[in-house]
Amino acid sequence: MQFRSILDKEESSYKGKLRPPFFQDLNLDRITERIRLDWGEEISSFYHYFPENGDCGDYRREVLADIKEAGLYEPLCTFCKAMKRRREAAAAKGAVELRLQRAVWHIRETGYYCDAFAGLFQGLLGKELHSRGMSAFREYLGAYLAGDFFGNLQEESRKLLEDMKAFRLVLTYENDRITISCGETEGRYDAFLEKLFPGKKEKLRSPFEAEPELADLERELLKAFRKRNPEFFEAAERFYGEYGEYADDKLIRFASEIGFYLSFLCFSGRMRERGFCFATPKIIDRFPEWGAGNSPGQASSVREAGTEEQPENLETAYQDAEPAAEEQPENLKAACGDAEPAVEEQPEILEAACGAEMSAVGLYDLALACTGREVVTNDMFFKEQERFFVLTGPNQGGKTTFARSLGQLVYFSMMGLDVPAVSARVYRFPDILTHFSVEESVETGRGKLKEELTRLAPMMKDLGGRHAFVVINELFTTAANYDACIMGRRVLEHFLDKGCFGIYVTHLGDLSGKDGRVAALQAMVDDRGVQNFKIARSSTRSRTNAVNLVSKHGLSYERLKERLS
Amino acid sequence: MRACLLYAQREWPGEERYFDEKAIVQDLGLDTLFRAAASEVVLEEEKVKCIGKPDPDLEDAMRKVMLVPLKTEEEILYRQEILRDCHELEDLIDGLYEFSGKVLADWDKLGRRAAGRAGTRNSPGNLITEIRVLRLFVTSLSRLKELLGEYQTKFRSKGFISLYERLRKEFSHELEQGLTRILEGIAFYASDKERDQETFWETKGNKPRIVLGCSMGEGLKLKDFGLEEVETDVKRCHRPASLIRRAQDFISEKTKTLVCIQRETGLWEQAEQLEYSTVRYIVSCCDPFFSAFNGFFRQLRFQAAFYRGAVNLKHHLERFGLPMCYPRVGGRETLCFRMLKEPVMAVEQHLEPVGNTCDMAGKKLLIITGANQGGKSTFLRSIGIAQVMMQAGLAVSAESYESGIFTSFFTHFTRREDSAMNSGRLDEELGRMSRIVDHLGEDSLILLNESFASTTELEGSVIAYDIVRALMEAGVKVLTVTHLLSFARRMYDQFRESPNSGVEFYSAQRMEDGTRTFRMVRHAPELTSFGLDLYDQMIGKDQ
Repeated sequence: MQFRSILDKEESSYKGKLRPPFFQDLNLDRITERIRLDWGEEISSFYHYFPENGDCGDYRREVLADIKEAGLYEPLCTFCKAMKRRREAAAAKGAVELRLQRAVWHIRETGYYCDAFAGLFQGLLGKELHSRGMSAFREYLGAYLAGDFFGNLQEESRKLLEDMKAFRLVLTYENDRITISCGETEGRYDAFLEKLFPGKKEKLRSPFEAEPELADLERELLKAFRKRNPEFFEAAERFYGEYGEYADDKLIRFASEIGFYLSFLCFSGRMRERGFCFATPKIIDRFPEWGAGNSPGQASSVREAGTEEQPENLETAYQDAEPAAEEQPENLKAACGDAEPAVEEQPEILEAACGAEMSAVGLYDLALACTGREVVTNDMFFKEQERFFVLTGPNQGGKTTFARSLGQLVYFSMMGLDVPAVSARVYRFPDILTHFSVEESVETGRGKLKEELTRLAPMMKDLGGRHAFVVINELFTTAANYDACIMGRRVLEHFLDKGCFGIYVTHLGDLSGKDGRVAALQAMVDDRGVQNFKIARSSTRSRTNAVNLVSKHGLSYERLKERLS
Repeated sequence: MRACLLYAQREWPGEERYFDEKAIVQDLGLDTLFRAAASEVVLEEEKVKCIGKPDPDLEDAMRKVMLVPLKTEEEILYRQEILRDCHELEDLIDGLYEFSGKVLADWDKLGRRAAGRAGTRNSPGNLITEIRVLRLFVTSLSRLKELLGEYQTKFRSKGFISLYERLRKEFSHELEQGLTRILEGIAFYASDKERDQETFWETKGNKPRIVLGCSMGEGLKLKDFGLEEVETDVKRCHRPASLIRRAQDFISEKTKTLVCIQRETGLWEQAEQLEYSTVRYIVSCCDPFFSAFNGFFRQLRFQAAFYRGAVNLKHHLERFGLPMCYPRVGGRETLCFRMLKEPVMAVEQHLEPVGNTCDMAGKKLLIITGANQGGKSTFLRSIGIAQVMMQAGLAVSAESYESGIFTSFFTHFTRREDSAMNSGRLDEELGRMSRIVDHLGEDSLILLNESFASTTELEGSVIAYDIVRALMEAGVKVLTVTHLLSFARRMYDQFRESPNSGVEFYSAQRMEDGTRTFRMVRHAPELTSFGLDLYDQMIGKDQ
C-alpha cells in the first residue's frame, strides 16, 4: 500500500472543515479544548473531521493500536518535540529581514528536520507494526531517508552547524570601555554560582533575545565576524539558495497528523491517572451498505474485534484481529470470553454484550469528567429489535448527560479512538444527528417551537439512506402536552423507519408505546428519592412516583424509626 | 530555614485551634493574661507597675499560640525546656525578639520585595532594592549567628541548640562567604551615594570588571552566555613577565578584538543593557537563598514574641505572689495539683487568690456544689486556665500541677445574659451544647459552669443528668459546677456506693460559723447553697 496519510487510506481533506453540527450538543468542544490544552498544540481541526468512509475508523484504530502496542508513543513524542523546534526556527526565519540572518536560521531549521526524521526512523526500526498506516509510513520514510537528497541535506546542514559552534565571543566590561573579542571562556563565575546554589535554574539571558531582528550591537559584531569568516557566510547563503524548499510534503503532513493520536493518548493517559477508563470499542457492521452484507435484525458479524484493554495501562495487549470479511464464529466467541469482570454481576448486560448488539459497560460523559467533577457510569445495550432509547425521569437526574455520553461513544468510535467506557460494542454509523433544545430561551412558546422545528426539518429530510445515530434532547417542551406527544411519536417513528438508531430524552412518559423497536429507560432515584444519576430500563427497576415522594420526604416507616431513634 | 521554637518539626501556624476558642477566651478571661504578657512589670513600693507601653505583637503572639493546644507530652516538654532557657537567659530572648523585629522593620523600609516583584522587574530601582534586601539578609544572618554563638554554651534546650545548628548548616560559612563575594562584586549597583536613577548608571567609582562569554548562535543572535568574572578589586595575577610573552599577548589581544565600544557612542547603551541583565542574573541566582530565608525572620519574630511574652507573664504573676511551676503531663484520668491559684483574678484585682489543692486520680467526672460566692467558679476557671497554659507549654500558677492532655477542650459557662428563664435561652444553650457534642471524644475535657440553669431546677436537672451521664459514658472528662441540686444528689445517690465509679464530689468549704475559706474540699452535695450565709454577710446577722 502506498503511504498517503496517517489518518486515512485516502488523502481526505480535514483542513478548513467546520465543526460538525453535533459537536457542541455533545460537549465535544469542551473535550477537544481539554485535549488541546493537555497537548499544547492546535489539533481541533482533526477532531472536526468526521470520517465519511466506513474504513477510516478501522484504519485509525490500527494505527492507535500500533502506537500503544509497539511502544511508539515515546519516540513519536520526541519526534513531535523536534518538529516543534523546527517550526519555531522556521517562524524565527520568517520574522527577520536580513538575508544572512534568514540563511542561518534556515540551516538550523533543516538541522532539526533531519534530526527529527532520522531519529524517528531509528525509533521505528525493529518495531512490530501491524497497521496499514504505520507500516506504509515506515516504508516510505525508510526510502526517503536512504535517498541522495536527504543524505546531502543532512550532511551539509550538519557541517554548517558545526562551523557555527566556533563563533565564541568574550565581552569585557571595564570602567569606560567594553571590549569584545573572539575567544572561549570557562564560565568560572557561573561555576561559582552553581556551587553556591546547586541546581539553580536561572540563565543569563540576552536583553535582545525577545527581538528576532539583530540589535545594533549584534549587527556590528556580525560585520566584524563576516570580515573574518567570509567562507562560512558564503556557504550559508549558497545552502539557503539551494535547499530553500527542502521539506517533503507527506512527511510534513505526517508530522502534523500524528498529533491526532498523540494528543488523544496524552489526554486519555491523564484521565486514566485520575481513574477514568477508556476502552477500544468493538465495531459491528449492522448495515448492509456499510460492510459485510447482513440485513438488520439478523446476527451481525464482528468486523473488527479490538479487545477491551486494561484501563490503567497505555500499552496493553492489543490483539490485532484481521478484518473479517464475513461471519467469524470463533471471533465472536472470543469476544464474549474476555468481557470485563464487572459485567459478570449483570447477567442481562453480559448476555447483551456477548450478543452482537450495541452495548457499553461503564459509560460516562467524558466532557463532564474533564471538568473534574465526579461522574456516574452507566451500562447500556440494545436488545435484538431495539433501535431507540426513550429516556424519562426527574429533572437533574442525569438524562442529558447519559444522552451525551451515548453520542460521545459513537463519535469516538467512528473517529477510530478509544471510548469513555470500560468496554463497548458499537455499530458503524456514517453520521451523528443531534437536537438539543435551547433551554434558557426567553422566546414565546410558538417562537421556540418554530425554532425547534426549523432545526429539526433538515435533520429529518436530508437523512437520505444513511443510518445515522440520533440524539434528541427534550423536543417540544413548549408545546401542549397532547401536541407534543403526537409530534414526538412522529419524529421517533420517522427515524425508526429510516433505520436510524438513537436516544430520545423526554419528559413525556408514554412516547415509547408498545413499539418493539423502542426501549424505555429511566433516570433513577435512590431510597430517599434523591437523584443518583443512574439510568436503568423502566421495566426492570422503575418505582412509582408515589413511593418516591414518600421516601423523598423521609416518611417511610424505616426512615421514621431511624430518625426518631 | 525554619526557626522551630514552637514545635520541634514545624513552623507556625500550628495545627487546629480549640474548636470553640472564643468561648474559652471569654469564659476563662484569658484576655487579661494576653495583655499581661504584653508588658514588663516591676514592683515599686509594694505596688505592681508596668514599664513602657504594652507591645501589641507580644499580646498577639500569646493569644494565637495559647489557643492552639499541643498534642503530646513531647511537644509540651520541648517548649518548657526553651522557656526555662528564656528565664535563665532573658537577654537572649530579648535579643532575638528585638533583632528579628529590627530586620523586619528595615526590610519594610526597603519595600517588601514581593510587592516589587509583581511589578516591573526590569527597572533599575527594583534591582537596587533587591540587592539591598539581599545585603540585609546576609548581614542579619551573620549577626544572628554571632548572637546565638555568644550563648551557645549556656542554652540547654533542644530548641535553641538545634536552631543554632540549623543556622550554621543552612547559612553555612561557605554560603556566607559566597554571598559576601557576590555582594562585594555588585555593591556598585546598589551604592548609597547615587540614589537618583537618572544618573545612577553614570556613576563612576568601583565599577566591577565583568567578563562574559557568549556565542553568536542561532539566527546570529547573542546567546549561551557564560559569566566568567565579576570583581570589584581586580587582583591581577602577574604573569611571568618576559617581554616577548607580553608582546605576544598584546598582539594576540589586538588581532582577536572585534569591537571596542567607548562611552557615549551609539552602542554604549545596548552594551549597558547587557551589563544590567548580568547583574540582574546574579541577583536572581540568589533566589534560592532568598526563598529559604524569606519567611524565617517573620517566624523568628513571632516565635520569639511568644517566649518573650511568656517571660513577661511569669514576672507578672510572680510579682503578685503566685508561684509558678512547670506542669507534668499525666494520664487523662489524673488531675492533681497543689496550691493552684487563679491568675486572671490576681492580675485584674491585684490580690493574691486562695490556692486549692486537689488529688483526683482515676476520676472522669467532678461535680462541684456549694455556697454562693464560695469560689466554685474561680476554682473551675483556675483548672481551665492551667489546662490551657499547660497545653501551650507555659508554666502554671501552682506549686505543682499534673493533668492529661485534652486537645478537645471546651467550656460551657452560663453567661450572665443567659441566666434569665427563657426558652429561647435554653434553646441557645442547648444548641451550643449540641455543637460541642459533635466534637467530643475520648480526648475531650469539658468544663460546665452552671449549665442548664436557664430553666426550672427540675427540668434542668433532668437535662443535666442525661447529658452528663451520656458524656461520661462516652469517655469525656467533665468538670461541672452546678446549682442543680437534685441533679447532684441523684448522681451522688447513684455513685457513692461504688468507689471506682470515677465520680468525685467537691464542695466549697464552709466553716462551722458560716465563714468561707474559698477552698474546695471533698464533700457530698448539700441541699442548700447557703445563700443565707451571703445574706447574713451582706445584710448582717442579727438584724
